Amino acid sequence: MNDKVLNEEQRRAEERAEMNAEAQAAADAASTYEHGWSSDIEQDFAEKGLTEDTVRFISGKKGEPEWMLDWRLKAFRMWEKMESPDWAKVNFPAIDYQDAYYYAEPKAKPKLNSLDEVDPEILRIYEKLGIPIEEQKVLAGVEGARKVAVDAVFDSVSVATTFREELESAGVIFRSISEAIKEYPDLVKKYLGKVVPMKDNYFATLNCAVFSDGTFVYIPKGVRCPMELSTYFRINAENTGQFERTLIVADEGSYVSYLEGCTAPMRDENQLHAAVVELVAMDDAEIKYSTVQNWYPGDENGKGGIYNFVTKRGLCQGKNSKISWTQVETGSAVTWKYPSCVLNGENSVGEFYSVALTNNYQQADTGTKMIHNGKNTRSTIISKGISAGKSDNTYRGLVRVGANAENVRNFTQCDSLLLGDQCGAHTVPYIEVKNPTATIEHEATTSKISDDQMFYAQQRGLDEEEAVALIVNGFAKEVLKELPMEFAVEAQKLLAISLEGSVG
Amino acid sequence: MNALPTKGDEAWRYADLKLLADVWQDVPSPEQITVKAGESMARQICEIPVIGNGVAMADLDIVIEDGATFTLHVLAAAVQYGRINIKTTLGKGSHFELGGAILGNGDQSLEIVTETIHAKPEATSNQVVRSVLGGKATGTFMGKVHVARDAQRTDAAQSVKSMLLDRSATANSKPELEIFADDVLCAHGATVGELDKEALFYMASRGLDPETAKRLMLQAFIGDAFVSAADDVREAIEGKALTILEALS
Amino acid sequence: MLKIENLQANVGVTQILNGLSLTINAGEIHAIMGPNGAGKSTLAYTLGGRPNYEVTDGSVSFTTSVRAEPVDAQTDDPSTSSGRTDQTLDLLDMDPHERAAAGIFLGFQYPVEIPGVSNLQFLRESLNAQRKVRGEDPLSGAEFIKLAKEKAGLLKMDMEMLKRAVNVGFSGGEKKRNEMVQMGIIDPKLAILDETDSGLDIDALRIVGDGINSIMRKPDKAVLLITHYQRLLDLVKPDFVHVLANGKIVKTGGPELALELEEHGYEAVAA
Repeated sequence: MNDKVLNEEQRRAEERAEMNAEAQAAADAASTYEHGWSSDIEQDFAEKGLTEDTVRFISGKKGEPEWMLDWRLKAFRMWEKMESPDWAKVNFPAIDYQDAYYYAEPKAKPKLNSLDEVDPEILRIYEKLGIPIEEQKVLAGVEGARKVAVDAVFDSVSVATTFREELESAGVIFRSISEAIKEYPDLVKKYLGKVVPMKDNYFATLNCAVFSDGTFVYIPKGVRCPMELSTYFRINAENTGQFERTLIVADEGSYVSYLEGCTAPMRDENQLHAAVVELVAMDDAEIKYSTVQNWYPGDENGKGGIYNFVTKRGLCQGKNSKISWTQVETGSAVTWKYPSCVLNGENSVGEFYSVALTNNYQQADTGTKMIHNGKNTRSTIISKGISAGKSDNTYRGLVRVGANAENVRNFTQCDSLLLGDQCGAHTVPYIEVKNPTATIEHEATTSKISDDQMFYAQQRGLDEEEAVALIVNGFAKEVLKELPMEFAVEAQKLLAISLEGSVG
Repeated sequence: MNALPTKGDEAWRYADLKLLADVWQDVPSPEQITVKAGESMARQICEIPVIGNGVAMADLDIVIEDGATFTLHVLAAAVQYGRINIKTTLGKGSHFELGGAILGNGDQSLEIVTETIHAKPEATSNQVVRSVLGGKATGTFMGKVHVARDAQRTDAAQSVKSMLLDRSATANSKPELEIFADDVLCAHGATVGELDKEALFYMASRGLDPETAKRLMLQAFIGDAFVSAADDVREAIEGKALTILEALS
Repeated sequence: MLKIENLQANVGVTQILNGLSLTINAGEIHAIMGPNGAGKSTLAYTLGGRPNYEVTDGSVSFTTSVRAEPVDAQTDDPSTSSGRTDQTLDLLDMDPHERAAAGIFLGFQYPVEIPGVSNLQFLRESLNAQRKVRGEDPLSGAEFIKLAKEKAGLLKMDMEMLKRAVNVGFSGGEKKRNEMVQMGIIDPKLAILDETDSGLDIDALRIVGDGINSIMRKPDKAVLLITHYQRLLDLVKPDFVHVLANGKIVKTGGPELALELEEHGYEAVAA
């Protein structure tokens, strides 16, 4: 009995010490980019450059069926004739698509059945990633820990999937998209490219041609997914474009919450990331998609950093369906991203909650589109943009109401916070309405942290950086509270870390 | 003469380019208006000058010098394709006031497009635009407020409200902020909606028939755009607007 | 004057009124009290004909004395029966503005703000719309202003307030007083006052109470007061007090019932 107590106390003391050490390490890491590192895992590269052969190589490497290769080739030929869009408020040197690698995978290993079999190198990287504590517990096998299924995308290939069994007994399909193409070709064929058509935009078409891997989720009728699904993206190899492809289908009456978190190692050369995410919600289904994006933003002189050109779109196909996007965007040198909802089903609901923080020379052009086609459809857009350093932060959004969409409701709130007088904050909302019964409200404000707020916080004992972090977190609170708990904590820290050096 | 714009030109994305194509060579260059430092000037556009082929256009390039005030009231109505371009550059401590109404019917397409440049500190601008659109009409407001790097203590506001009377009418709004200074107050609000049902019931409960209640509400709605006008100007432009509104609703 | 029989009504998909019956005769003042959610406001809105308040069963008839044939409004004396006849209307068949013209005034618990429309314009248009339905000549601007001044004076309301947009920027108490000014100007047969006493301080309450008495306590008029509190009933003495619970009237009594409610609460009294 006493021994037990003592052991318990000892364990706690150790834990405390560990936490202190962790805190020290975090503080040390915070002076530079926290997730900057590079690990050595042998790569299997496709040759540099992008030709039909590259596409064939990728498809062949993945052992894809003929129809998939045909689909990719069609996209590639389409892409060759397209031009890179230039309407966003971002500037970057033209990308040489022939000077990048389009495929890299960790050296083939036998299929893994449990986490124990995962390459310790990868586990070590998870640790560095600062995977939320809950998930660390899960990974460590702590009993009673909240369950989060992790489908880890290490570079381009999915290498570990946990909790597959429990998900399977619920009927949930949670696979890498490569596996799904082979195992569930009918489902994939039915939905792939249906929400984001192949010809949608330059980067989406490119993704169709060369997507390396990603995630496929299918939640069957009436199933509430028994755990939150999580994927960690990392970009590891030098000069490797990352082309993720995600497809989530929620059948009638089902529910799923999907968490996506990203970090990337520090690199000097800009890296292109052009993901496509498609969501489909049937009658009475709900999909909650949360992202914390923390890719390498480049250094304080604007050198390096990820180009993040992502197409994310959800289709509320069924009546009473709901798709909710929540994003905290603090990383990447250039972000071009508009998670959108096409609201076709009657009474369907679309939501977009966003915090975008830019510092140094970062440029973010992000927002959403809410396309109201169905009757009684509703949408909410809450966007909080924070600009610091010499960065530019743009909200760009579209609310469209079709002529036959009766009783549509939309509320949009776009707030910008400027820290310093060398940055930019921009708001570009488009409102297009063709039905007289619609009620659309859009509000935008721009502000800075007032001297009074700063003084008040400092008078209570916070230093300047702490005060700014506190106020910024308050500014973003409306969005942060939409995140699943374990993400919310991480996101708050991320905002503070990302702002470092922006004050004074 | 510039080349004919295309749909790819942001400021013309909603324009009736087909109609415009035939008369493009006749479109006059912008009228230059300078309000001298410290002075006040007011202008109204009750009718957009017709170029031909059902196209009417007004194009103002306004410079408001330090401490000056420019007040502009415009009415976009009664032509097939009508466009009012307003580019304004504000000097230090100056003020720009815009009130505009867009009243469309049939298959008219009417646009008010503004670019308001706060180039110097301490200037203020206020834009109020109200649209009422019936039939298959399209009404568009695009307003860009640009605050330059050193234009501190700018106060810029935009209020854009649209009301559709028929299912086939279209309202487009794009109130845009482009801000490069931190000590600014910039806000815009945009709404599209029906007449307030609560208010309509309240009015009915006092005995007003639905048509009268609707008329009163629409008049008040349009009236917002002209409250900033001097009395005589308001009477003229609002009077004209109300006559057009009567035919519309 | 008002006869409600077995009234059942839904708000959206929820049934709120569950077979409510109530008869109000000319010259009477009735008070309805009841806990929150009992259906008090729903009753007021249903009688006013508010959209979304759907009557599923029952009837409401409204009987007033009207001129048998058009006469000069000036010589028409409603207190005599000469040249007048009773007219009974099926209220549920009528639009909200027709109910108003028939003589029903609804005092809103939350009076609505109407930006851009001045009180005076609103009321004059309203009054003349009602007069038109009744076959009366419209009031001229001068006549209307005279009337408005008189009624505003009665409720101690500044004429400047009447020039402002309807209820915009008014305090809660000012809104309620504005309702009473409107009632005075419109001069209805039946006033249904939904918590007109809420949000009023003691002085304002007295002014409103006096206003109700002077405008509505007449042999050819009636009032239905919806309230939570005894304090208004001290000023406007009701002839009948009803307790409303779960969408129907569960108890009826004289003024003493209100005192009993105040003392023992709804549950004890209604049980």
